[in-house]
This record gives sequence, C-alpha cells and structure tokens, in this order.
Amino acid sequence: MAQGIRAYFGHITDVVTTFWEGLSVTLSYMLRRPITVQYPDRVEKRVADTLPPRYRGILEVDTAVCTGCMACERACPIGVIKISTDKDPGNPKQRVITQFDIDVGKCMFCGLCVEPCPTGAIAHTREFEATRKHVDSLVFRWVPDPAKPVPFYRPVKGQDAPRAPVGEILRRCLAAASWIERPSFLPEERKP
Amino acid sequence: MRITLGLDSTSLSRRYPRLAILATLFMAFGLPLGLYVAALAVFPLNTPERLDAMAEQWLGYDLAGSPYRYIVYTAFLLLVAFIAVNYTAVFGGVSTWVERRVAGRMQSRIGPNRPGAAGFLSWVADAVKMILKEDTIPAEADHLLFRAAPYFSMVGLLLPFVVLPFGEATVVTDMNVGVFYVAAASAFVVVGILVSGWASNSKWALFGGIRGAAQVMSYEIPAGIAMMVPVLMAGTLSMQGIVRAQGGWPWQWFVFQNPAAFVAFFIAVTASLAEGNRTPFDLPEAESELVAGYHAEYSGFRLAIFLMVEWANMWIMAGLAVTLFLGGWQVPGYGAEDYARLLGTGLLPAPGWFGLQLLSMLMFVVKTWALVFVFIWLRWTLPRVRVDQMMSLCWKYLVPGAFLCFVVTLVWQLLVPPAGVAFTGYALTALALFVLAKFAVATRRNISKVAGHRVDLGNW
Amino acid sequence: MAIDMKIERQILRRTETSDEEIVVNFGPQHPSTHGVINFVTQTTGEIIRRSVPEVGYLHRGLEKIGEMVTYPGYMPFTDRIDYVAAMFANEGYALAVERLLGIEAPPRAQYLRAIAGELCRISSHFIAVGTMATDIGAATPLTHGLRERESVNDLIEELCGARLTFNYHRIGGVSFDAPAGWSDKVLRFLDHLDSYIQEWDRLISFNQIYVDRLANVGVITREQAVDYGLVGPNLRGSGVQWDIRRDLSYGAYPDFAFDIPVGTGRFGTVGDCWDRYYVRVQEMLESSKIIRQALAKLPEGEIMAKVARKPKPDAGEAVGRVESARGEMLYYVVSDGSEKAYRLRVRTGSFLAMGIIEELSRGIMVADLIAIIASLDIVAPEIDR
Repeated sequence: MAQGIRAYFGHITDVVTTFWEGLSVTLSYMLRRPITVQYPDRVEKRVADTLPPRYRGILEVDTAVCTGCMACERACPIGVIKISTDKDPGNPKQRVITQFDIDVGKCMFCGLCVEPCPTGAIAHTREFEATRKHVDSLVFRWVPDPAKPVPFYRPVKGQDAPRAPVGEILRRCLAAASWIERPSFLPEERKP
Repeated sequence: MRITLGLDSTSLSRRYPRLAILATLFMAFGLPLGLYVAALAVFPLNTPERLDAMAEQWLGYDLAGSPYRYIVYTAFLLLVAFIAVNYTAVFGGVSTWVERRVAGRMQSRIGPNRPGAAGFLSWVADAVKMILKEDTIPAEADHLLFRAAPYFSMVGLLLPFVVLPFGEATVVTDMNVGVFYVAAASAFVVVGILVSGWASNSKWALFGGIRGAAQVMSYEIPAGIAMMVPVLMAGTLSMQGIVRAQGGWPWQWFVFQNPAAFVAFFIAVTASLAEGNRTPFDLPEAESELVAGYHAEYSGFRLAIFLMVEWANMWIMAGLAVTLFLGGWQVPGYGAEDYARLLGTGLLPAPGWFGLQLLSMLMFVVKTWALVFVFIWLRWTLPRVRVDQMMSLCWKYLVPGAFLCFVVTLVWQLLVPPAGVAFTGYALTALALFVLAKFAVATRRNISKVAGHRVDLGNW
Repeated sequence: MAIDMKIERQILRRTETSDEEIVVNFGPQHPSTHGVINFVTQTTGEIIRRSVPEVGYLHRGLEKIGEMVTYPGYMPFTDRIDYVAAMFANEGYALAVERLLGIEAPPRAQYLRAIAGELCRISSHFIAVGTMATDIGAATPLTHGLRERESVNDLIEELCGARLTFNYHRIGGVSFDAPAGWSDKVLRFLDHLDSYIQEWDRLISFNQIYVDRLANVGVITREQAVDYGLVGPNLRGSGVQWDIRRDLSYGAYPDFAFDIPVGTGRFGTVGDCWDRYYVRVQEMLESSKIIRQALAKLPEGEIMAKVARKPKPDAGEAVGRVESARGEMLYYVVSDGSEKAYRLRVRTGSFLAMGIIEELSRGIMVADLIAIIASLDIVAPEIDR
C-alpha cells in the first residue's frame, strides 16, 4: 500500500521534473541560431564553392591531357563512360579519341574512374547542379564532334600533365547550356 | 545562382517589398483589429431591447411593434456570427503560422519565411491551396456522412464563441449557464471526429474516430469538475460573472487565490489539451501510428475545415482557461465602477469607454496568446501517450485530483476569511514568479552547457 | 470492412476470418515503417493479435550484382546495402576480400577505418534515436539528431567526398588520407557531442511519457535474443555483452579501450524498448571515446596495401564480419579464381530483427508495435538488399 502511494506520487514528481527539463531545453532553442541554409537563393556563396575539395560532384574530363588509356571506362562498374578511339586519318601513327561520353544520369559518383587515371584528365568537380528536362540530356559529350577528334596526350616523364583547374571546363559548359531545354523537334543540342 | 520563376511569391515580394510588408501588416494587425472593432461595435447591441431603442431614437421606427422585427434581429445575429466565424478562421490561420515558426525555431530550423514579411502570409497561401484542391470522396465511403462530418466539428468549434467574453462588453450573450454551455457545446467536435472516422470507411480513420470519441468523453469529466472550482469561487455559472469576480492584478486571479484552484488550473488545461486533441494527446490523428487518423481520407476544403477546427480550438481552450482562472479581460487598476462611469447613461457611450473596452480585449487576447504559445511549446516538446495511458491518466490522476480540488475549494470558501484569500493570492503569485525566474535561469544555462552553442537570435 | 483474402492466406497463413478482427496493413507506405516494409497486422481494435512483416519491397538484387562486377567495382554497391551506415558495409566487404586475397590493410588505413566507422556509427545512431522519438510522437528530437548528423556528415564529406554513399574503403586500405586539420575538427565535434548528449537525455530520454511508452514494452529476454539471432544493439539491449569489435576483433579495434553498453532494465525489464534505445545513446559516447583514442594514436605510413587493379584471388571462400550500427554485418565471398566473385552473400542486422516481430507482436497495442519497430532500428534496404 505504502509502496503504491509512493509510486503514485513519484510518478507525478517524475512527470513534473522531466517536463521541466524538456520544456526548458526546447524553449532555449528559441534563443539559438537555426542551422538551416536557405539553398539555393539566399546563400552568401555558391554552395558548390563551399564544398570540400574532395567532394565527388559531376565528372569532368580535360581531353587535352587524356591519354586514351580507357582505364576509367574499365574501372566503372556500371558502364557510365563510353570512349571510342580511332587512327588519325592524316597521321597513321597518332591515335585520336572520337567519343568520350559520360552519362551523368547513370553515374553513382563513386570515384572509381578517377583513381586509375594517369594524368588526372578525369576528375570529380564540386558542381552538382545540372538539372535537365530529359535524362538523355545528361549524357555529357566531352568530345563534342566525332568529326573533330582529340589526339591522345603523351605524358612527358618527370613532368605533370598541364591539366586545366578542376571544374573550370564544366562550369563553362554548364553556363553555356540553357536551363530550359529546347523542344524535342529541334535538332539535338550538343552538350557540352 | 538564382532560380527565379515569374509567379514565385519570393520574387513577387522581392519586386515589391513594400507591398509585402503592407499586406503582412494588414493581415497580421489590420484584419484582427477590424474584427475586434466590429465585435465591439456589434456585440453589445445584440439584444432586442437595445435594437428597439436604437430604431426608436434614430429612425423613429417602432421596431418592437413591427411585423418585420424578427428579420432585423436575425440579420443582427447573422452579422455577429459572421464576425465570430471570420475571427476563428483568422485566428486558426495565424496560429498555424505561429506554430510553424515556433516549431521551426525549437527544432533548429527557420520555418516558413517567404510569402509576406517573415513568411506571415503562408497561412493565406495554405488556405488558398487547400480550397483549390480537389475534394475527393472515397468510393466506398458513406457519402452523406463523409460530407457532413466537417460541419459537425465546425459547429462544435463555433458554439462556445457565443459565451466566450472578449472584453467587458464584447460578448455575444452572457448566458447565466455559460460554463455549462461551453462544456456541453465544445463536445460537439467529437461528433465530427467520430462521424468522419466511421464514414471514411478506412481502418486508420476508424481507429482515429474511436480513439477520439473515447478520449473526449473521458476528459469531459475532469475538465468539468476542474471548471467547477472557479464556479464555486465566483458563485455563478455566467462567464462574465466569473471574470467580474476576479481582478486585474495576478494576485486577484482565481488561479492564485486558492491552492486547490492552482491545481485545478493545471488539471483543466491538461484536460482541455486532451479535448482539443493536442500533443501529448493527439491520439486521434497520431501521425506515426494512424497516418492521419480521422481525417486520413479528407482533402481540399473539408480537410481545411478539420485543420482549422484543430487550431482554432486552441483559442477556445486557452480562452476558457484565461476566463476561468487567469482574470479574463480584467484590466489592472480598473474596476466595475470605472466601466459604469465611462459608459454614462446616454444611448452612445463616451469615447473613453471604447478605449477601455479595447484595452480589456487586449488583456484577454494577450493572455490567451500566451497560453496558446504554451500549448504550441508543449506540442513540440512532448511525445504522445498511449491509449491506455491516456485513460489511466484521466481516471487515476485527473479525476481524483479534480474532485479533491473541488472538495478543498468548498471547504476553503466556507472557512477561509477574505484576508486569508488575499494573503494566499500574494504568496502564490510570488511563488509563481520565483518558479518562472528559476525556469528562465535554467533555460539560459542550457545554452552554455552545450559546447559550441551560444545565444544568437539571427537567421529568421 | 473488406478483408483482402489474398493477404490473409499468403502472409498470415490463415484461411478463416473472424468478424471481430480486422487486418490492417502497416505499410508499405506508412510514416513509421522506416522504408517500404509491410506489417500485416491482425487486430481487434487497439490490441494486436499478430503482426507479420512482409519484406522484399526494396529488393534490388545486390548479392547477384556482386557476381557480375569485379571485386573493386562492387565497393560502391555496398554503400546501397545500408545507406544510413555505409561505412560498415564498405568495411565488411573490404575485410572479406582482403582475407580472400591474403592481404591486410596498413595500420594507418586500419585506424582511419576505425575513425570513419565510429563517426558513421554516431551519425547512424542519431537517425535511430531521432526517428524513434518521432515514432513515439515527439518531433523535435529528430531534427536535433539530424542537425548533429549533418555535422558528422560534413566531417566525412571532407574525408572522402560524399555524405551518404561514402565508398571510402578500398580492398587493401582506404581511398583517402585524413586532410590537414581534420582531426582538430573531429575533436571539436566530439567535445560538442559529449556535452550535447546530456541535453539529448534531458530533452527526450528521461521524459516520463517517453519512458512510460517504452519501458516494459517489447521485452526481448536474453534467451529470446540469442535464439532469434539478434545482433548489435538489439542483442546488447537484452543484456548480452556481445560486440564483434571486442569479441571477434578486427582492424584497429584491439588497440582501443571501450565499454560495451548493455541493457540494464533501468526503468522496466531488461530487454525492453527503452533499453535498446539507451544502448544506442551510450554507444555514441563510446564511439566518441574510440575516435579520441584513434586520433591520438594514429600511426604514420601508407594507406593502401599493394593490390592489383583487378585482383584475381585464388579459388576459395572468405568471411568478413564487422560490427555495424545495426549489429553484425557479415559478407561471405566465394571466389572461383576469376576477377568476379562466384557468390556473394550479405547477412544484415535488420533482416534478423524482422524475425522476432511476429513473436513480440502478440497481445500488444498498436502504438507499441510502432515502438518495437522503431527500437529495432530497421533500415528497409538492409532487410531486402
């Protein structure tokens, strides 16, 4: 009986004390700063520029330093990268890249393609905003015109490949492509 | 990187910032103030005698003997109802915005801050969105009851407004059984909940409806007994009579005049939380258990009515507690004789009377909003109780507690002299202030206890 | 009320119906099933007769994919097995293949794995305890937990470049070394975490309504927990001190001193929902201890062992088991000597936890079922893979 009474009133005391604690915690949050960042329009800096350098955003290829070794194509577990090479018709000794497509809509941003690249031609940028109306438009063609292929880059021993700063090419391409897609009856837009 | 769409409210309020601020000010202050003034102008006139006298004096028309008099009386009643309904809608809307902003802040978020200044117009946007949505009715539902259910809830919400005093003169009618009437009429909401739960023909809705019925029925009892405490202290069931028995200063409020009333206040607030289906008693909708409970199948305007009832019910809950325990509309320093003196004897009262009336309405509104804030604050702190715990809380804690308070009040009224009551008033007020100060200190300390957190009022 | 006879037959294994009972589908889309699972529940009003989980809505054939891609190429897929705590899924797979190849990650890599893993455990447990509070009806703790989790994710993002699907581990090491100044940031966060957990406890853990809702609910006895093969915090909540990190130690864990929190029945019975909940809260503090020790003792050196780009292990089989946030995670890899696995099998904590729900659900209330599901910390993709 006495124990029951103690439990009864103990319960009331527990309710009062724990509510006291909980209510004071939630009230104190009225005086703390919310952590929300008002992406995308009320941020001080572009969000992509605030990300850490290792961020694995959209892939970018600097074809000027691509050796055409296709290590990235082989490393990709889901076949996002498609590379075609050919002999240069003008110079049979020189091989050229005629196609370097990355399907960003399929990419899972794992970074396995970046690791085997000998010159750092393929790299993750910090860009992540590339909304398109059609998923087909997310195939980024790094060799835009098969008629104008890019020659293989030959690495020079003891010298770093002259790679453009990561992200610059992609940013340029994204800025050039309009946000609103062209209607489908128009000839396909080449991007980037 | 800015994405702007032409019809985006953000870009609208950016293009015309002054318009946004003006619209917000109008919706936030102009609209409620207009409704208060309209209430002040219309509510006191709403008796046949006064209408008759006015018609006699100003128009020279004998309304009392006219065959059309009931049409005039009804028109006036409709005007009163129009004001009350609009006031509920505006309050329900504004309180959703307040709730979302407060909840956001408590959860380290911002909350809606885009439409209008500080996001105030988001409730208007929500309402417009809901009204424009399709009103879907499940094929298997009981169509008639499904359509009717929101109106039952709506009626339950609006009926208590008849006796809820907003100010000294601003009450639709001062019924001599006011408290009893509120207790009876507010239970009408549960009819809507039960009917919607049954008519939806959905298992979740049925669970919610049954839970709601069980809950509201049970909590009527402790709420009713706790409400009897101020009735005993005032010696009347009339809401205005109960307010008049209290004073403007905190130590003249019923809650501090008697320890039993102090306890009864908490019991009444807890019970009304349960009757209004607010957390921790939001079992009928219980998002994580019943998806949306009784209104799971509703959409569009009918859902809007349910949600409006839910939020506007806070006004009834808080207003009732303020009236019964926290001194209602009483302005500190002004007694009944001041009102009588300013009213004068003419047909139209002096301008000072209107000022005092507005002041008394302000007192009531401020107190009620403070209590509404407490309800919101509780909701964003506490978890939900289980059905059996809800029942055991009612029958094992609140009902005996309320009954004890009732008995103690009886004895108190008989034995304690006025000096003792006055002393209790001062003592309990001091105690409450002490507890509040302690709470404030504890709240401030919470922030410094967490490494990396500090007081910062930014980021709204 | 129409009763779907098909579900009656198939899930509840029952042919007769009763007028007093209704069958409710808790799911596949329900706010508190933590993903697409269906709990087919036979109830008489608020009291549940029986609830049978119906799994498989999130099956993506991840084990079969393991037979179709190369060993290193499967690593990003492991992220998707348990995306709330992907670090452990990475680590278990890396361990299994390393054993198959007969190599071991360098010490620095092992320490980095431990640090990243424990950070990930903190972030995963914040989701677990936060969603549990939401399921009980308190919305605020979840957003506070998510806020803390974001801080952890910021740290992990700085380390490996991703916030959710980390793909941090490699066969034979890790992909990145800790960046400069990272350990200071981690220590600053841990100082915050240690003081924050106190506030968390005051906000929700000891709240009387919360305790009443969880204490003595869904009690799993010691024997039941072992019999049903529960793992991780669910097992430890029942008072069994079993932790792969200590008992079948791997990686850098033998070098650290840490406690293994177990359920004590503080507010009710040992093995109730509150015990399982509080084991997770305490484990966050233990993780904080481990990370502090690991950062203090972090050895210098390589972060990758010498591994071929497309390793071809000899024919054989290997097992990698790690203590994930949801308990033991086991990878079983069979090699036939080619560059792809012959068979890959994953055993996960959430799937094991599904087995006991039918047993626990007899005679409880609807709200208790939600509490039990939440306390078992189920992540739907981990159940179905």
